Amino acid sequence: MNAVGFAWRSLVRQPARAILGVLGVAAVGALLLDMLLLSQGLIVSMRDLLDRSGWDIRVSVREIPGRGGRVSDASETAARIAALPSVKATLIVRIANARIEREGGPPIAATFEGVSGRSNKGAPITPPWTVLRGRDARGANEVVVDAAIAKAANLDVGGTITLRASCVADLEALPPARLQVTGIAEFPFAGTNEEGIGGSLDALKAACGGNVGDEADLLLVTSTGESRETAEAIRPVAPGLFAMTNDEVVGRLQQTGFTYFRQISAVLTTVTVSFAVLLISVLLTVSVNQRLGEIAALRALGFSRSRVVKDVLSESALIVGLGGLISLPLGLLLASGLDRILKAMPGIPAELHFFVFEGSALAVHIGLLAATAIVAALYPMRIVSTLPIAATLRDEVIG
Amino acid sequence: MIGRTLVFLLVLVASTASAQEAPKDILISRQLATEQGLSVGSIVRLAVDANGTGARTFRIAGIYEPTPDPARLGVVPREVRLHLPDLLDVMRPPGMLAGTEYVANINVALTDPADAAAFARDVNARMPGVIARPSSEAAGSAGPFRVIERFHLAIAIVTIVAATVFLLALSIMLVDERRETVGILRLIGLPARRVLVQVLIEGVIVASVGAAFGLVLAVLSEGLINAFFQWRYDTALVFVRITRDVALTSTAIAVPLGASATVLASWALLRRSGLRLARR
Amino acid sequence: MRGRAVSNVIVDAREVGRSFAMPAGPVHAVRDVTLQIRAGDHIAVRGPSGCGKSTLLHMLGVVDAPSSGTLLFDGQDVSRLSDARRSALRLRRIGFIFQRFFLLPMLTAAENVELPLSEAGASRRDRQERTKVLLDYVGLAARADHRPSQLSGGEMQRVAIARALANNPQLLLADEPTGELDEATGAQIAALLDRVNADGTALVIVTHDSTLAGRAARVLMMRDGRIEREATR
Repeated sequence: MNAVGFAWRSLVRQPARAILGVLGVAAVGALLLDMLLLSQGLIVSMRDLLDRSGWDIRVSVREIPGRGGRVSDASETAARIAALPSVKATLIVRIANARIEREGGPPIAATFEGVSGRSNKGAPITPPWTVLRGRDARGANEVVVDAAIAKAANLDVGGTITLRASCVADLEALPPARLQVTGIAEFPFAGTNEEGIGGSLDALKAACGGNVGDEADLLLVTSTGESRETAEAIRPVAPGLFAMTNDEVVGRLQQTGFTYFRQISAVLTTVTVSFAVLLISVLLTVSVNQRLGEIAALRALGFSRSRVVKDVLSESALIVGLGGLISLPLGLLLASGLDRILKAMPGIPAELHFFVFEGSALAVHIGLLAATAIVAALYPMRIVSTLPIAATLRDEVIG
Repeated sequence: MIGRTLVFLLVLVASTASAQEAPKDILISRQLATEQGLSVGSIVRLAVDANGTGARTFRIAGIYEPTPDPARLGVVPREVRLHLPDLLDVMRPPGMLAGTEYVANINVALTDPADAAAFARDVNARMPGVIARPSSEAAGSAGPFRVIERFHLAIAIVTIVAATVFLLALSIMLVDERRETVGILRLIGLPARRVLVQVLIEGVIVASVGAAFGLVLAVLSEGLINAFFQWRYDTALVFVRITRDVALTSTAIAVPLGASATVLASWALLRRSGLRLARR
Repeated sequence: MRGRAVSNVIVDAREVGRSFAMPAGPVHAVRDVTLQIRAGDHIAVRGPSGCGKSTLLHMLGVVDAPSSGTLLFDGQDVSRLSDARRSALRLRRIGFIFQRFFLLPMLTAAENVELPLSEAGASRRDRQERTKVLLDYVGLAARADHRPSQLSGGEMQRVAIARALANNPQLLLADEPTGELDEATGAQIAALLDRVNADGTALVIVTHDSTLAGRAARVLMMRDGRIEREATR
């Protein structure tokens, strides 16, 4: 009987204990997997979200594009950028707060994004939304809305909405604007509880009363080649603004907004692994101490030191291995629950995930569990390898 | 206190200021002072864009430690504080009349904080277009810290479940070590209930000592974690705090769990006959 | 590496002693014991409790190393052997039987007997065949699939004897083999051990049981760690 077979028989000898040990490892392993997914999840998800948008450079007044502070002389700035040979297309994005009126209910608060694009060489202009049904808004009185607005306002493609928008400050009270809904769209950067409306910049300006100045919340740029080189080329023609590639935006987020989750992931990974090592080590040590007589007898019969040590290591590997296997589906289930909790945070895009499955996280998980099995077994292995055979046999008789 | 979100460009100039007008006083954050090598008495110019449009000269009257803001963890607080008229002066675009500016927020301190909800309702009723709410409600149920609290709670629950499972496994093993003793006690006539009471008392003692030890460990960790992250982020934020409620809740969970695990393990053992237990 | 000794001396102990360091001072469990065990010997070791019988047995079985003197097993100085070599010796040349049997409770009788064979690298077929032969030898062929909890004390000791004989050892060492058995069962075990010895395996038994000791060809009386006298039959 080899060491693994022997370890298996030792485990099933006390099934309740073995099952509990494996389940304990499964729970701890699930948490460990989740922390590893969390450590890079936001970064991976944000990078994917940015890349999928079709724009690889963001120009704004801050390093991390967001509300507050606008690019002035937006058209001229966009034109200067579009004129660069490495730029394929630019898009001016202006954002306003809007309230959609509906019969028999309070107004629906929403974010209105108005866009105006310029492309070179016939490159497509991708708005920051994806049309699911109908068509994109083109005219100054056309918009697309998200599914939540369509449902709440009882609308469909071809319907009309009445809204009040404010582009400058919340204090403004403007006459309502009637706009035709040409499509139902998805707004990937909208928060979980934020509703989105999209249309042309002209439509937004008209909804805001017309005179809103030539400002933009954000300029989006697609480059023909390397985005980093294009961003370098943009900086001199857009002084005072930040031209950030998607990688740079993600990198900045990693240092600021996402830093808490990386830290907590590191802390909890350390705590979880330490916890697992301690508990498995105690479990194995108690188990070994209960079998010292048997182990001494096996040594007396001729089992080598390395063999009895291998038996203990195999037992640890079996507990951790079986628990680790169960921890995978458990961890993924837990991750989806934790993701749901964290996505409730205000301002987090609905399509952003905190927990993203990656092969590298799984590899680290397996590696950490393997290390846990080895480290947890070190002390009990030491016990069996230094076991004084004769003294133990004597003690067993006396005891 | 009135505040507004701004982006400033701070340009340091030589200390020879214009003799025509004494520069007005401002305060800057410690981090900004360290980064730019500024000190009390330094003369600086503030503008709102890189071109220095409408720049004004100010004197640094003091250096302050910014109130730690957990929402801006990791962001170095390069802050400037100035009197509102001076701020508006710098911010006002050329040609704009004074008095047409607006502010984003007004913070109000009441003589009696318990009146906050009533005060907010009053303001909302009298001033349409203005939203007033007590600070304690500002975050709302979906505020970032409520969300993080729920996240932490979920993690804590998983940890407790894992710990309970291991505890049960260990209890079974430790109780099994005393199987022979328990068997002999049963054989000589002690009822199972008597043995369970004994086990319960032991379990409560061990769990209480363990919980106390755990609290000591938690307090030590609290100091270490706070010291590390305060150094790491150069902030006065407190990251971990063991409050009385936290300590009581932890103890209230740990002691019954520990005692119950031992009793449950013993109960499973006591279901077997004394003879089987005592047999080697 | 030394080859096997030409003579039939299995164990050659020359003035071996074993001391244990204790807080109150060293305890000399065995002192100046000189003893030879030859192929086919049947030796009983007797003496009062604490006289060093088990300690001597452990040294003869290469489980413990002497603190003084020389112990040669098959001509090899045991104190110069590595732990791995000593383990290999115990596995292939020596069999051990214990007072408390020390069968592994989660294995069947057959699996317990197979253990040393498996450790010695025997093939599955050879293991199964040898196990069958051994269980038959000790009269427990019908109980091969029973676990120790399903066997009586005498049956457990017989399984332990079969296990000890698994790799055909030259020397079988038994430490109080009938210590936990009743008289009748003890007699059965004694008869079985006689048979083992008659089939060529040298036997050294530590025992309080005078009947068991009386069956040995040589009886060593120990006192205070020394062999006080030796009687031959």
